[in-house]
Amino acid sequence: MKPFAFTKAESLPKTLSAKKETTQFIAGGTNLLDLMKKHISQPDELVDITSMLSDKIEAHKKGIRIGAMVRNSTVTLDANILTNYPLLAKAILAGASPQIRNMASAGGNLLQRTRCPYFYDITTPCNKRQPGSGCSAVEGENRMSAIIGYSEQCVAVHPSDFCIALAALDAAVVVTQSNQKNSTIPFSDFHRLPGSTPQQDTNLPANALIHSIEIPVNDFHKNCAYVKVRDRDSYAFALVSVAAALDLKGNTIQEARLASGGVAHKPWRWYEAEQYLKGKEANAVHFKEAAAMAAKDVKPLAHNGFKKLMLQGAIETALQNCLTT
Amino acid sequence: MLFFEDQDSITTAAEGRVEGIAKVTGKGKYAAEYTVENVCYGALVGSTIAAGSIQAIDVTNAKQVKGVLDVLTHQNKPLVPGFADETKIKESRFGLPVFHTDKIFFKGQPIAIVVAETLEDATYAASLVEVTYTTEKFVVDFREAQASTPLSMAGKERGSMEAWSDAQNIVEAEYNIAAEVHNPMEMHATIAHWISQDKLKLYDKNQGVNNVQRTFARLFDIPTDNIEVISEFVGGGFGSGLRVWPHVLATILAARQVNRPVKLMLTRPQMFTAVGYRPQSWQKIKLAADKDGKFLGLLHQAQHSTSVYENFNEGITRIARLVYSIDNLKTESSIVPLNLSTPTWMRGPGDCTGDFAIESAIDELSYVLKKDPVELRMKNLSLEKSPDTGLPWSTNYINECIEKGAARIQWSERKALPGQVKEGDWNIGYGMAVGMWNAGRGNASAAIQMQKDGSLTVQTAMTDIGTGTGTAMQNIASEITGISKQKIKIELGNSTLPPAPSQGGSTGLSSISGAIVAVSKALKQKLADYASVQDEVYKNATTEDIILSESHLSFKTNGNHAIAYTSLWETHNLNVLEVEASSGPGEERQKYSFCSSAAHFCKVRVNSKTGKVKIDRMVCVADGGKIVNAQAAANQMSGAAIGGIGMTLMEEQKVDARVGGLIGNDFAGYHFAVNADAPLIEVDFIHKPDPNINPTGSKGLGEVGIIGCAAAIANAIYNATGKRLRDLPITPDKILLA
Repeated sequence: MKPFAFTKAESLPKTLSAKKETTQFIAGGTNLLDLMKKHISQPDELVDITSMLSDKIEAHKKGIRIGAMVRNSTVTLDANILTNYPLLAKAILAGASPQIRNMASAGGNLLQRTRCPYFYDITTPCNKRQPGSGCSAVEGENRMSAIIGYSEQCVAVHPSDFCIALAALDAAVVVTQSNQKNSTIPFSDFHRLPGSTPQQDTNLPANALIHSIEIPVNDFHKNCAYVKVRDRDSYAFALVSVAAALDLKGNTIQEARLASGGVAHKPWRWYEAEQYLKGKEANAVHFKEAAAMAAKDVKPLAHNGFKKLMLQGAIETALQNCLTT
Repeated sequence: MLFFEDQDSITTAAEGRVEGIAKVTGKGKYAAEYTVENVCYGALVGSTIAAGSIQAIDVTNAKQVKGVLDVLTHQNKPLVPGFADETKIKESRFGLPVFHTDKIFFKGQPIAIVVAETLEDATYAASLVEVTYTTEKFVVDFREAQASTPLSMAGKERGSMEAWSDAQNIVEAEYNIAAEVHNPMEMHATIAHWISQDKLKLYDKNQGVNNVQRTFARLFDIPTDNIEVISEFVGGGFGSGLRVWPHVLATILAARQVNRPVKLMLTRPQMFTAVGYRPQSWQKIKLAADKDGKFLGLLHQAQHSTSVYENFNEGITRIARLVYSIDNLKTESSIVPLNLSTPTWMRGPGDCTGDFAIESAIDELSYVLKKDPVELRMKNLSLEKSPDTGLPWSTNYINECIEKGAARIQWSERKALPGQVKEGDWNIGYGMAVGMWNAGRGNASAAIQMQKDGSLTVQTAMTDIGTGTGTAMQNIASEITGISKQKIKIELGNSTLPPAPSQGGSTGLSSISGAIVAVSKALKQKLADYASVQDEVYKNATTEDIILSESHLSFKTNGNHAIAYTSLWETHNLNVLEVEASSGPGEERQKYSFCSSAAHFCKVRVNSKTGKVKIDRMVCVADGGKIVNAQAAANQMSGAAIGGIGMTLMEEQKVDARVGGLIGNDFAGYHFAVNADAPLIEVDFIHKPDPNINPTGSKGLGEVGIIGCAAAIANAIYNATGKRLRDLPITPDKILLA
């Protein structure tokens, strides 16, 4: 690890305006420390922002607001979330380990970087780590890589589980800019596709901080599920994950949400399949059709052809689980 | 065992591990945890290319980091006498002549060690060492390189291949297993301290302190006794500590160079290239039976990877010659050199790999024959004698393991045809396989020091890598001497104690138990000798005549001719009474063959939509002779079974042929099984002593716990789904695509 200075932020305006390019903010640090140990991030200064951010979960008329400093484990224990937004807790509990969830912040969860093995190995080329050096995964070991939305420059996938649920629930990210004004970025616009600038994971402006996450009121709390298929049952990133949510009237689907992890550089929504399910009976036939609809557009790489089948299976399973869990 | 010396330490429960409290309270020190005055820290620099040579190493920037004391490379290292020239390097059998060559054999090869005042300084400076290389063509793709090393005979052919060429019931298939990495929880670490020019003290993680001691005595040409190796607590080994690895030598050289004690702990990514792994393998099986299920012939071919600088052969086909009686048998193998670090023994080495192919093929054959796989195996077991040596088994209860396991899992619930039982998207099936291992034994020594209060300290150099060796020593010493366990301390894992072999290949307990029995008897004899001066009755007493209690010894019955230890100590002016004894294998090895065995049964669920495999139940029944400590033994078995689950379902060290090395070599990329992947492992034992193997009748268990697991799970997956998976690990993608 490269030596660095460590300071605790004392005021938000000062912190934001004083941030240099070689400064990084640290909250839970569960990803950043790994990146520093592996010489991927080499900041000169770390600024601890934990005391600058809200660690409150607040309900209001239009929904719920999760402060950026709320620990991941806190989200999974909050009564309001468990009653009205249980999909969030289900997704978080499918990720990391209890120790990591206790440390990791909600804001940091959104900003964690990809887990592509080449990104983590500084002896190999990687456009995300070193723009222009080439992508080792596109022709290399890409079993875990993307099947949709990727570019020749990068085939990495977004690693968060929490974000998949947030994408499904049409969340929004409230951001404090360096001028201290808050602005809102719809969740679907927060993370980016790699395109020709894979080094940029999100649209968070420079010198800005995540303030909170807003989740609008919804009717998905009764019928939602998170399915994560992975190589082992704890502490492993998704091969494919699916957040599914149904708003049912009787057995008729009023509205459906489907989002996936492990398939793209950002949480991926299956809008066409969601649209298809609207107005349909909630049954295996329709679920299968919706799953096929989602899977038809994917373009697997050399070593992840299985993800198409797995995605279909995981969507069917998640939709089915909406009815039982 | 330091904590025994604390006045306020809690006494261990009689059934607990002797080192349990020290471990859970943190009092027990692992290699890197020792405090050594004036210690500094080392960090290794690994090569970034797979083959070639070093053109230049620039350490200017690294040396500018505050706190850096020196950077050792092949250009400025202190010369190791044992590496003085190419011939000596070869003769040393050390493997990689670290810092004594400019050649690069694999990516990650240690080429420099930075020594600094702090770990942080050393680690950062290591990232600033700049190296230019001359690169050469490398080969890291096992499948691609396989053809380059033709197979040759592995052992004598039995019968002929022609004899069964027209067999009707035949299975022919190929099996592949990915490379696996031990990854014990404690990363390998060394503190090297040159006490004087030719006296070395090492705190080192390993599985055999005497082996480490001998290795460096040879390399540095100094007397063995000048080297002390301490390895009192070991956080898992699985075979990774059976060899002496380059990083230990690097640390010793660094300590010599800076003339201070140096501490080095490998990083987790370095653990993947520095201390061996189970090599990637390919196997082909051809197996035939007559219509009644009697095996007619077996052809077993195997290849596994090795490095370009060392030939390592783990003997995959050995197991083909161990379990079943087969008249016509041919085994062939070869090793495939790659530009990767040298593989090594990993739990159940060779046999674990070979067993997966053979036990899978037998299962396949059972469906061809429409016979129950349990019945098919029972019919072909070689229960009387070893099919290979022809010697009678001393004991072999593999049939009882199978029967007991089948009853426990309710094997009768299994459907004869695959894919018959469904619960929603889950298919349910049963599978089984057996495992066997040559039960070895080595020469070992132990000592007892007795105090006049009747307390004992039992000592040996052998390590306890978490298997319960110390606890077993205490149990045996208590049983033989009659002194209660609470009064018996254990000291081990130090080369100044009586010598013992390395702890590996399931020989640890088998070897040390003989020494503990011998030294316990020697203690009784010595006490009798002293007692005979005071009381004639003890003159010709045998060890069986001597009864020891907490405070006195007696003749034949407790209290008869009683002499208090205090009186004995006073009369003979004793401070501490010391005895030492050795024990080892003898001519029984010419009369018998010895084996441990196990039967593994499991019930699995396989999801047809996601490809996920869940193990509902896993039953392991083992013949380990007499079980000295049931809890420690069961712990060994369940740990091995979970290792088996990892091997079967997820463990895979990926190699990138373009990068020329490993990829994903950390815990995000490499998965081993965790609790969530395993059911409660149901362990049982046959618990019959082997009368010939050693004085306690106990046989090793470490290997048979894993040998057979993989095939049992794969066979259950077939029974559940009708999908035959012959490549490990069986990850969800393979299930979906099958």
